[in-house]
Amino acid sequence: MAEKMLEVNDLKISFRTTNGKVQAVRNISFDLYKGETLAIVGESGSGKSVTSRAILGILAGNAIVESGSIIYSGQDLLRISEDDFHKIRGDKISMIFQDPLSSLNPVVRIGKQLTEAMLLKNKGSRRAARRVFNSMLTNLKANMVEALVKEGVPEDQAKKTAAELTGEFNKFNVEALKLQNKYNEAANMLVEAESGVEWILLNIEKKQTNVDYGALTHKLIDEAKRSIHPFVAPAEQMQPIVDKLKSAKFPKKALPDEAAVSALRELNELVTSLKGRTEPNFFRIGYYKMHNPEKDIYSMPVAELNETAKTFLDEHFMIEFIKQEKKALKNAHANALEGKKQLLDMIEKKREIFDGETLDRKACETAIKDMEKVTNVSINRLDTVKDSAAYTFIGSLRSAVETYFTGIRVNPGRIRAYERQKTKYDRLIARNKTPDWKVTPAQTIDLELTKKNIRYIFDHISERYREDIARAESVNFDEKAVEFIDFMKNQAFEVSNKVTKSMARIRAIKLMEEVGIPEPEKRYRQYPFEFSGGMRQRIVIAIALSANPDILICDEPTTALDVTIQAQILELINDLKKKRRLSVIFITHNLGVVANMADRVAVMYAGKIVEYGDVNEIFYSPAHPYTWALLSSMPDLDTTDKLEAIPGTPPNMIYPPDGDAFAVRNKYALEIDFEMEPPMFEVSPTHYAATWLLHPDAPKVEMPKIIRERIARYQKEVAGRE
Amino acid sequence: MSEEKEVLLRVENLCQFFGRPGRELKAVNNVSFDIHRGEVFGLVGESGCGKTTTGRTIIKLYNATSGNVYFKGRRIVAGTRSYTDEIAALKKESAKADEARKAEIKARIAELKKEIKKAKHDQKCCDKDYAREQSAHIEEEYAKRKQEVKTEEEAKALEEWHKDQAYRAKKQRFVTGIQMIFQDSIASLDPRMTVREIIAEGLRIHGVRNKKEIDEQVYSVLERVGLVREHAGRYPHEFSGGQRQRIGISRAIVMKPDLIIADEPISALDVSIQAQVINLMNDLCHDLGLTILFIAHDLSVVKYFSDRIGVMYYGNLVELAESDELFAHPLHPYTRSLLSDIPRPDPLSEKSRVHMVYNKLTAHDYSVERPSFREVTPGHFVLCSDSEEKKYLEEIHGTAQ
Repeated sequence: MAEKMLEVNDLKISFRTTNGKVQAVRNISFDLYKGETLAIVGESGSGKSVTSRAILGILAGNAIVESGSIIYSGQDLLRISEDDFHKIRGDKISMIFQDPLSSLNPVVRIGKQLTEAMLLKNKGSRRAARRVFNSMLTNLKANMVEALVKEGVPEDQAKKTAAELTGEFNKFNVEALKLQNKYNEAANMLVEAESGVEWILLNIEKKQTNVDYGALTHKLIDEAKRSIHPFVAPAEQMQPIVDKLKSAKFPKKALPDEAAVSALRELNELVTSLKGRTEPNFFRIGYYKMHNPEKDIYSMPVAELNETAKTFLDEHFMIEFIKQEKKALKNAHANALEGKKQLLDMIEKKREIFDGETLDRKACETAIKDMEKVTNVSINRLDTVKDSAAYTFIGSLRSAVETYFTGIRVNPGRIRAYERQKTKYDRLIARNKTPDWKVTPAQTIDLELTKKNIRYIFDHISERYREDIARAESVNFDEKAVEFIDFMKNQAFEVSNKVTKSMARIRAIKLMEEVGIPEPEKRYRQYPFEFSGGMRQRIVIAIALSANPDILICDEPTTALDVTIQAQILELINDLKKKRRLSVIFITHNLGVVANMADRVAVMYAGKIVEYGDVNEIFYSPAHPYTWALLSSMPDLDTTDKLEAIPGTPPNMIYPPDGDAFAVRNKYALEIDFEMEPPMFEVSPTHYAATWLLHPDAPKVEMPKIIRERIARYQKEVAGRE
Repeated sequence: MSEEKEVLLRVENLCQFFGRPGRELKAVNNVSFDIHRGEVFGLVGESGCGKTTTGRTIIKLYNATSGNVYFKGRRIVAGTRSYTDEIAALKKESAKADEARKAEIKARIAELKKEIKKAKHDQKCCDKDYAREQSAHIEEEYAKRKQEVKTEEEAKALEEWHKDQAYRAKKQRFVTGIQMIFQDSIASLDPRMTVREIIAEGLRIHGVRNKKEIDEQVYSVLERVGLVREHAGRYPHEFSGGQRQRIGISRAIVMKPDLIIADEPISALDVSIQAQVINLMNDLCHDLGLTILFIAHDLSVVKYFSDRIGVMYYGNLVELAESDELFAHPLHPYTRSLLSDIPRPDPLSEKSRVHMVYNKLTAHDYSVERPSFREVTPGHFVLCSDSEEKKYLEEIHGTAQ
């Protein structure tokens, strides 16, 4: 079984409008696995776009998430803060919108729009990494002191030891960063020089005379010079070639002479040979350099230096540090465990405050305040993986309670206003007049639902903490200590991982090549209006892919395009999916496109999933009348009969119908369809449909002739081909 | 078979260029086709290939650069570029020619200038001419009837009839016989007019002044397209997409046109609504005997809907045939690539589909001979050169055997 990427459970979203609350998505659940494409099909207004927007956290301002959860990598996307969402949106989950022109800025060049996110995200993530590094170190220090004091070491002594150890750790990491930055810069320049020299040689090979070789080589020389670094490109190897290139002459409108070409070839060889160099481990070297400032580290070979530095670091620092660190981790864990037990007790005691018929505001607030204190204790600040349930507990509880009291405050007024309007309307009707306005339903806050949400929050955290307590004995602190150091190293590396404009440019051009834009170097400097519709959509795809996401949401990416371009774009998305093992959510109403793209299909109608299953099951043995209607209402090349259009329009979702929402437009509707909503019936282990027709007592109904014939024809074709 | 049918619309070497001379964008370049009465003619091609421009030039939304369009035998669109080009070429030639040739050239130039004058007149005044003719008809009939009048009452009624008909004839326009349905139903309906006003606007312009008559026509046409009378008083924003498109259709058919140009009428609609609108147009076509020029890029819909199909590529018509014939034996490489791109609701064949790429430069070798639009088999036209024609013929006979 493939890895689950995304889990949507019981999601319910409504929109507040002047006419009342529109129920856009009603209790839908689905999973998305790694490397698969899930297609969501349905008419406009069926809630497919709303679902995808909820996953990305970009719902409109009047949307209310009434219940449900969207779990991505252990976090509930509906409950995390906007700051946390920033790190996911675009980075981990990105989206391709329907209209490419409206998602591009018309007055900014394509190149800038492609690199903008890379540069901004880089700046932000470096800053965040710095913050995390510092706060973690402070916490570690505090815990170390506590652990030592508990062992009986005098407090001054403990403080001194802890400060020394953490201070040392910080200092040599800073030193390592400095070295690493210099190294990175040179290494990046080497990459640029490599692509530069390849480009020049390619042009020479093709005997292109209209290329300005002088300017290209000038740039190349600059890059080669800046790549000189003892660990990257040693000066004694690089300098002679640079000198040769400098003295070479480049006539205009002609190929460069033999000497220049041979120098370029040499440079190419050198650059290629340097690719396989050993990476220096600056985490160790930084410490070594700090304590042996007189030693010239650059004179040693990298592999040997790595080894020397390692033994030196282990002897002088690491063993002691890990010993103390382990103690600190144990201490933090024990503290948190104590906190968790306390919080569980407290929840048991205080729960009834939130459970009564009506809640008492003051009692609730004091209870939350008390719980906040305990929750803060219960969170282990030295955990490298943050526990989202604990971090979001107080926030979501507070907002749920706030919603409840807002409801109590505003509901009576709103009901009164509604009743006033209603009596006025009724009076007009009684006087035999037809008012040209409608009664707006009262927009009250559902107090029962809010209370249910509060109960859910408590259940969620209690369950989580009970599991943690049960697991507490089996924690391996040796592993944890190594994990912690790795985590800190990664953070330090994040801080040093600076993306410059030119690096971003190289990456952007590579991406443009990947999505099939010809002459990316030239296109990089153009504006969106200079691109055709298909090219524009490719740019949008490139931007969506620039952060290397795990999940790609495509919201009708080809609806505005014609068949030829559509085929190209679909092929492109399919290729990228295979290459990067992306999980794709593909939203469309074109069933032909679905057949091409999807592994699994979910058919949505009126905010509910009415049928889902494997793509072959949906197309060759559809079970729900709505799927039949969708399939039979689209002509294909062999259709000659009258099309079976779906009569009428989708229902008004302010007042969703009692039974099956599709019953009114369904010619196969049974009586029960108008009274009771059908549950999901299992057709096969992967195929489910919500229709009463699948009930054992239901009359047997065959799918429409047009689909039966079409499926038979396709199957004959397939058999014929085999 | 096609000779028996009446040609309703004839497009001859139509060209529509945009921009200033020298850097022109050739949106439509030398396109010719006939549309017979009662058929649905589909025009397909990727976006930007000039299919919409062709439709708009026919209905005179643009001034054609060159070429003619005849509607019911009368010229309604006439461009002058081909004549002016010929005059320029002749003038150049005359500088070097001898005396006899010079005189010939002079005569030809005079002829061409006359043609230009005629073309300009037709382009500008075809409606006025038609209105004048209609007025003459009415006057004739009026004179005839006047002699038959006996009582005073009859005379009064006749006077009234004459006044009304004369006014209508004066306002009559010939191109009204062609109506258009637009792609974007929201943008093509005035948000500040009620549905009644929108539908009646054309009637009013055409001199119908009787309010009762207008209302009757509006109601009947609304009911014809599947809306109800009550909808007449509403505004466009109160309708769903499919209903709006129905209003667009009713606006077109209320003028009792002979030809409707439907410019992607369904591509902006939802799946289920698409089928409703296609069915409606199909019914209208059968009941009212309409002729439709159907412009779209969704080939499966075009195939389902049209009798004959023309395929356009960058301003040129590259292939034209009966729809079954076109799909059974596509000849031009572009048509083939277009057909290979149609998505089908069949996962197994979709996943193994080979997408054919058309590249104009590699697909043809026109360095020796220029391609022209020719009839390869009866009713099947392709843009090709001599050698290509031979190849195509061989292919057809090969598959026939």
